[in-house]
Amino acid sequence: MEDFFTNNSVCVSVEAPAENLVQEIAYDGQEVFQLPLTLSENLTKQAHKIDWIIREDDENDDDTLSATVTTEKDVEEESKKADFQTSSWPWDSVRNKLRSALTEVCVLADVLVIAKDKRYMVLDPVQQEQPDQRQLAQLFSKKRGLTAAANILLHGAERLKISQSDTARAKSNQDFHLELLRLRQSWTLKKIGNSILGDLSYKSAGSRFYQTGIFEVTKSEDPNLGLSTETTSENQPKQSMIKVTIPTELGGTSYIQVTIQKDQDILCTTNLNLLHTSLIHSDHSLDANPWTSKLEAAQNVLFCKELFSQLAREAVQLQAAIPHMVVGNQITASLFPGIQLSIHFQSSYSAGVNKRQLVSNSTSLVAKVDHNYILEHSLHQLLRQVHLNNVGQPVPHPSSAPLGPTKRRRLAGPHAYDRDELLLMTKNESILEQIIRQGQHVVLRLRTMFVIDSIAREIRDPLIISHWNVLNSPTLSCVKIIIMTHGYDTLQRTALVVHVGEKTLKCVCRDGRVLHMSYEPQELRDLILCQISQHQINAVQSLARFLGWHVASSSAHLGLGPVEPLGNASSCILSSPSGNRILSVRCGPQAAQPQVYLSTYPRHDTVKNKVLKDMRWEQLNTRYEEVRLEKIEGRNFLSRMELLMASLTCRPPMSWE
Amino acid sequence: MTFGFSVELDRHKKKWMTGQSRLFKKMASNQNPISAIDMLTSALRSNIIPNQEYLLQGSVIDSSAEVLHNRLRGLCDAAETGPETFHDHEMCFSLKASSPGGTPQQQQSFLLRVRRALDHPEYPWQLRYLGQPELGEKNQPTVLRSCIDIACTPNVVEFLSELGCRIEFEYVLKGYLFRKGRMKVTMSKIFRMGQAKSPDSLEAMTGSYLVELSLLAPSGQDAVADEIKVFAEQLRPLVHLEKIDYRRLQSYS
Repeated sequence: MEDFFTNNSVCVSVEAPAENLVQEIAYDGQEVFQLPLTLSENLTKQAHKIDWIIREDDENDDDTLSATVTTEKDVEEESKKADFQTSSWPWDSVRNKLRSALTEVCVLADVLVIAKDKRYMVLDPVQQEQPDQRQLAQLFSKKRGLTAAANILLHGAERLKISQSDTARAKSNQDFHLELLRLRQSWTLKKIGNSILGDLSYKSAGSRFYQTGIFEVTKSEDPNLGLSTETTSENQPKQSMIKVTIPTELGGTSYIQVTIQKDQDILCTTNLNLLHTSLIHSDHSLDANPWTSKLEAAQNVLFCKELFSQLAREAVQLQAAIPHMVVGNQITASLFPGIQLSIHFQSSYSAGVNKRQLVSNSTSLVAKVDHNYILEHSLHQLLRQVHLNNVGQPVPHPSSAPLGPTKRRRLAGPHAYDRDELLLMTKNESILEQIIRQGQHVVLRLRTMFVIDSIAREIRDPLIISHWNVLNSPTLSCVKIIIMTHGYDTLQRTALVVHVGEKTLKCVCRDGRVLHMSYEPQELRDLILCQISQHQINAVQSLARFLGWHVASSSAHLGLGPVEPLGNASSCILSSPSGNRILSVRCGPQAAQPQVYLSTYPRHDTVKNKVLKDMRWEQLNTRYEEVRLEKIEGRNFLSRMELLMASLTCRPPMSWE
Repeated sequence: MTFGFSVELDRHKKKWMTGQSRLFKKMASNQNPISAIDMLTSALRSNIIPNQEYLLQGSVIDSSAEVLHNRLRGLCDAAETGPETFHDHEMCFSLKASSPGGTPQQQQSFLLRVRRALDHPEYPWQLRYLGQPELGEKNQPTVLRSCIDIACTPNVVEFLSELGCRIEFEYVLKGYLFRKGRMKVTMSKIFRMGQAKSPDSLEAMTGSYLVELSLLAPSGQDAVADEIKVFAEQLRPLVHLEKIDYRRLQSYS
C-alpha cells in the first residue's frame, strides 16, 4: 500500500510550519517571534488537550456510530472491552466493532447456507406462546359491544315509535280536518280566535230572527261518540272526531202542530215537522255524519221558533172579527163560527230515549188522523217566502234602472197608479192571515166533498159524478158535478162547476147561470137537488124526442100545483106521435120520484047527445091518471119512461072504429 | 203619456214609504189634503231621492271575461239563482239649447238617454239624464255625476222628438247584471245597430266587455264611495276599475 501511494500520488508532507508566529512588530521593523515550544511545554499542551472526564462517553458515541446490528450482549461486551482498553487510537473501537459485526454476519451466512442444505441443520418453527385467555376482559368487551348495538337498536326503535305516534296523531288530526272539511261543505263555519264557530240560522237566507244559531265545533276527546245504549249495533253511528255543541235553547226537537177543531172535535190534524220523516225512518246507518242530525234538529227548532213567534206577533197585531187568542204555546184563530184553527208549538228537550217515545206517539197520532200535508207545507213555504223577500230584490230590467223597486212599483209611474192602488201595493198579507185563508179553504173543501158524496150516496136514480180538478191552489179548488142517468148518458147530462174558495162557493151552471153561495153546506145541497129535478125533466124531454114523442110544453119553474118547500118544481107535457096519449111529468126537488100522469083520448065516456053532435068533441082528452111508475119494469126513471112511452106508442088511434 | 218618479226603495228607505202610506191614509181620511207638489218638495228636501251616481268603469278582454264572470258570481248576491242577463237598447237624444245672444257654435247640448229592455218588453222604458262627471281630487275614489232616472211609457221617443230632440246615437248592450247590496255591477258588450234595424243584425264594436260598477245614492253620502272602492279592489287583478276622464278621451278622438 505504501508503494501504491509513493508511485501514484504526490507526496504531501505535513509538517509544522518552520517559521514561528510573529508576536509583535517593533517600531524599528524588527519582528519578535514567538519562541517555539519546548518539549515540556509541548507535553503540557498535549495533556491539556486530553479530556479525562468524557473518555467513556466518547467510547459510547463510537458504538452508536458503528451502525451494525448488535444484540444487547454485544453492546455490553463492547462497553466492557472499551473499559479495558485505553485507546490511544480513536478508530480502534470502530475497527473492533466492525470486525465483530463481520464475524457475526459471516456466521449467520454460514448458518443459513447449512440450514438451506437441510443435511446438518433444519429450521423448525417455534410455537408461539398463546396470549393469556383473559375471559373476564372478553366478557366485558363483548358486553360493551352488545350494549352499544342494543343502544343503537333501541334508539332506532324509539324513533320509529315516535314517528308512528306522530302519524297516528297526524291521522287523527287528519281525520279531524277531513271531518271539518265535510262539515264545512254543508254548514257555514268561521274561525274566531282559537275556536271554530258555525252558524245554523237562516240569517243568510233572509231571516231576521233575534236568536242566533251559533254552534261550536271542537275536537272530541273520545272518538267513540255512540248514542245511548238502546240503539242497536246497526244503528251505531260512525265515530266522529268532531264534537258539535249547540246552544241549549235549540236542543231537542220541536214541531208546529196545526189543528182545525170543530167544537173540540178534531177535523184534521197537521203536524209541521221538518224532520218528521227522518224521525220515523231514522236510519243512522245512512247518516254518514252524526253531527248532521244534531245540527238539522237544532235548525228545525230555530225555524219553528221563528215561525211561531212571527205568528204570535201577527195574532196580537191583527184585528179580526173574532180576535185571535195567544196562550202560551198555542195560537187559536177562528175560521168559521164554531170552527177554530189552533197552532201549537211543541218542543221536546229530550233526546235519545224520549225522542223515540215521541216518535211512537206521533206515529200513533198520524195513524188516527188523516195527515194534511198542505197546511204543514204552506206554513213552511210562507216563512221562506218572507225570507226570500228580505233578501232577493228584483233586478232592474233596462239595466240602468235603479235597484230596489219591484216590477209593480216600477210600473206604477208610467201607468199612473192612483192613491188607492198604491195603498193596496203597500199592504202585505201576514202569514197568519194567509194560513187562516188556507184553513178556511180546507174546511170548505171538505164540507163540499162531504155534501156531494152524501147526495151521491142517497140518490141513485140520476147518478151524481164529481170530478175534482187535480190542479188547484191553496185557496181555490174546482169540482165538476155531472148528473146523468145510467144507460142514457148520451141523452142528457147536466153539468155544473163549483169553485170552492175560502168562504164562498161559486157555481157555474151549463146554462150560464152563476150562483154565489156561502159556506153553509145546505145551500149546495139544495142547489144540487134542484139541478137533479131539472135534469130529470130535461132527460125526459130528450127521451121523448128520441122516441118520436112531441114535447107539448115544458116549464122549469112551475107555478102550478103545491108549493115546493125547496126551489121550484119543473114539468113537461109530452104527446105521443099519434097524438092520442099525453103524458105529463112533474118533478120537484124534494120529491123522491117524479110524478107521471097519463091521459088518453078519445074519451070513452062521452055521451052522444043532441048538443054535442060533432065528432070533434070525442077528440078531447080524458082526465089525467097517475101512472104508478114503481110497477113498471125499469132500472131507473128514464128506462121506465121509455118503456111507458114505447108501449103507449104502439096503439094506433082508431077513431073511426 | 205619463211620467212618474220611480223611487229607489230598499230596506233603509222603507220608513219613507210607511211615512208616505201614513200620508195617504191621512189623505184618505180627508183631514188635511196634501198636494203632490208638496210631497215632492218634501221628498227632495229630505234628501231621500237618489240623484247621484258613483261610478267606476273598466274593461276586460273576451278571453278573460269568463274568469271575471265567475269571480263576480262568487262575490255578489243571489249566487244560487244565477246572474241576470240583460239585453238593452239605448238611444241618446240631444236637445240643443241655444244661449241668447251667442253664436251658433256656443250651443250647449243637453243629452237624454232612453233605454229599453229588449228581453223584457213589459218593463217600462227608462229615461235618464246624466250630468257632468266630477272626478274630484285624487283621494275621491269614484266618479260622481248627477243622475235622474225616470220610468216612462214607450211613446217617449215621439215625445222627445216633438220637443225637438234629435237622436245622436244608439247602441245595444248585452251582458250580465250583478248586485251586491246597493251596488250594481254590469258586464256588457256593446253592439252597433245593424243597417237592417232588426235585433238580429248586431255587430260587436269591441272585442272586450265593458265593466261598470255603480251605486245610486242621495247627495252627501260619500261613505258609499269607499264601499265601491273596496269592492273594486277585490276585482283588482282581473279588471282594473278606475275613474275615466271623458274629456281626455274626447281630446284624443
